[in-house]
Amino acid sequence: MSSALRISAGSSAVRIENVSKRFGSVQAVRGISLEIPERSLCGFLGPNGAGKSTTIRMIMSIISPDSGTVEVLGSSALAMKDRIGYLPEERGLYRKMKVGDFVGYMAKLKGVHSTGLSRRIDDWLERLALPGVAKRRCEELSKGQQQKIQLLASIIHAPDLLILDEPFSGLDPINGRLITDLIRSEQARGATIIFSTHQMHTAEALCDKVVLINKGDKVLDASLESLRARHDDRGLLCEPKSNVTHFADSAVRSGLAIAARAREDGTVELDLPNGADSTEAMRAALELSPMRSIALRRMSLDDLFVELVGGSDVAKGARIDA
Amino acid sequence: MPERAKQHYLTKVALIAWREFRFTALTKGFIFGAVAMPVLMFGVIALMPMLLSRESPPLVGTIVIADPSGTILPRARDILASPPSNVEVLQDLAENPPTDPAAQLDALSELGDTPTQRIEVEWRAEQSLDAIEPMKSELREGLILAGAAIPIASLDPSVEAKPFELYIPSSLSPKHVRQITRAIQQAVEDERIARSGIDANLISRLAKVPSPATTRISPEGGEAQERTELRLIVPGAFMMLLWICVFTSANYLLTTTIEEKSNKVMEVLLAAASPMQLLAGKILGYSMVSLVMLVMYGGLGMAGLAAATMLDLVPMSHIAYLLIFFVMAYFMVSSMMAAVGSAVSDLREAQSLVGPVMMLLIVPLMLWAPIIENPNGPLATIASFIPPASPFVMVLRLTASTEEIPIWQTALAIAWGFGCAWGMLWLAARIFRVGVLMQGKPPTPKELVKWAFVK
Repeated sequence: MSSALRISAGSSAVRIENVSKRFGSVQAVRGISLEIPERSLCGFLGPNGAGKSTTIRMIMSIISPDSGTVEVLGSSALAMKDRIGYLPEERGLYRKMKVGDFVGYMAKLKGVHSTGLSRRIDDWLERLALPGVAKRRCEELSKGQQQKIQLLASIIHAPDLLILDEPFSGLDPINGRLITDLIRSEQARGATIIFSTHQMHTAEALCDKVVLINKGDKVLDASLESLRARHDDRGLLCEPKSNVTHFADSAVRSGLAIAARAREDGTVELDLPNGADSTEAMRAALELSPMRSIALRRMSLDDLFVELVGGSDVAKGARIDA
Repeated sequence: MPERAKQHYLTKVALIAWREFRFTALTKGFIFGAVAMPVLMFGVIALMPMLLSRESPPLVGTIVIADPSGTILPRARDILASPPSNVEVLQDLAENPPTDPAAQLDALSELGDTPTQRIEVEWRAEQSLDAIEPMKSELREGLILAGAAIPIASLDPSVEAKPFELYIPSSLSPKHVRQITRAIQQAVEDERIARSGIDANLISRLAKVPSPATTRISPEGGEAQERTELRLIVPGAFMMLLWICVFTSANYLLTTTIEEKSNKVMEVLLAAASPMQLLAGKILGYSMVSLVMLVMYGGLGMAGLAAATMLDLVPMSHIAYLLIFFVMAYFMVSSMMAAVGSAVSDLREAQSLVGPVMMLLIVPLMLWAPIIENPNGPLATIASFIPPASPFVMVLRLTASTEEIPIWQTALAIAWGFGCAWGMLWLAARIFRVGVLMQGKPPTPKELVKWAFVK
């Protein structure tokens, strides 16, 4: 059975303290510390070459840090290998091996008993919309199908910690949704999940927590909820039925907003004064004009990513922990 | 939820070893290339004598001898009626080698103890050389098998022999031409000797000195019957067997390691097993592949020797030494191949690093002859302690020598060899654990050494 229950409630699935790694002249990771609570879904974000994969490889004990400590499931990843599922960024399969043999081999390496394994593989293939491919060679599958087989190889042993490096790259929207559902179901089963991605909207939709790494530094480490609260810049996004310019002027003149911008798509952005109550502000806006829609304006993860990573000046010193 | 158990360290090693063995040795390619082909070749070799000793085509027809002396025909008739010995056939082949491969096979087919050729030849003597032209006409019309003209000068023992003339139809087989030529040629030789007044049997007795029965006397007083085939074929076969089995499986190890790196499956494996488990599993897996080849090829060789009732050529001690040095050679060579395989990204890059390894491995092949010639000489003794050539050289020495290799040398070579094999395995493991995760340009030998000693 799964050993997720062996982790005491509230403990960390992964704990990294002041970890650094250098490759030659390149400082890939610089003094990163972070904790990932058990059963959470944590997104590793960052531009290419930021140090995400290096951090993940150190968590996996595939490479050793130059300094600092890494604790996985209360021990070292080497000791916990069989309780971890890992999908590396660079996908690999034995091309000549049959799909069923490959997944079975990986499962056995992770300590799964042979009894019922074949049936389990068939069930999973069915679930991944790949029925009947168990007897086909891996090289006969499409790239997307191969990717799903690799994902299956990483979860077939029901790991307590699942680490997915760019699980969505190269997948079409249908398969992307299938993988999203699978990640959610693994979390519901009790697994802690870490995945790295460039797709901010996916991270925003899935994650409990995000860690943003840039140039080897951790520049953001926060729960999505706290992030939203912290980056809520007190604004409204209104779509008035009346003239947008007139509505924008009225909003400023009435003191509802300190600034208003009419946009080409027929909406108006209102910047609320400090201390304003957003519910009251919405009511006041509705009094100014009937609306097609009105919503709190929030900074998206995309915006945050650009703000923290896009300009080096902005990124410098912008370290957010929650 | 799958039932999952904590695995013993060696369970993963065994799983990896079995996968490597299964997907190498239990494949159609291996079974055909490494099993079926040698079996087929062995079958052909075994069947060859049977095929070659088939009934020879009959020699039927009339041979006309135009011989004014009238002495050649009865001699030639007697000679043709008595088949040549194997020695005579081989001597004839050596002196007049046929250029056509088919004719060579045909000539070899004359070898054997009991030729079953049907010979029904009528001889006709012509007293004058004027009969040559009518003889040619008869040949054109297919009335006679062959014709020969023996000038009287050819039989004069006081002058150098002149060639006689032989006339044959275009369809006559090379074997029949050789048989007829030999008979007439021998008859002319015998007649020349007879005319010289010397006893032909005396000359034959004087000219034929059999090979010596050689006995080697060792300084310790032992005597051993010299057998050339024992000293040449058996050691060579043993070393080649060892070389082929070790090198083939080590080459598999090299290519699959490179493939796992280039396929990016290595990182998936490293998420499930440690580099040491992976290396141990791979080396163990391919050792089984190697062992299968050794048992198969060695078994075929032994079966061949048993069929030829020559099993006494291979005493049990040779087999024991072969197994000991096989293990040593395999671990030496496979360690180097695993280290190289882990360090490079494709076979082309591997060539530059494998080159020096290959040079060392070719040493025993190059020194085969001098080592067999002098198994206790300084060259053989020194080469016995230079890895990775040492196990191959020791197998050559131990199976070649008709006198004992000093026991201390054998014991030291085994101890030193296994020590070196362990050292090479340790170095390979150090390089492997770093190399498998490296991408990009291949390392220099200096970098490889650095990897081996990095913390």
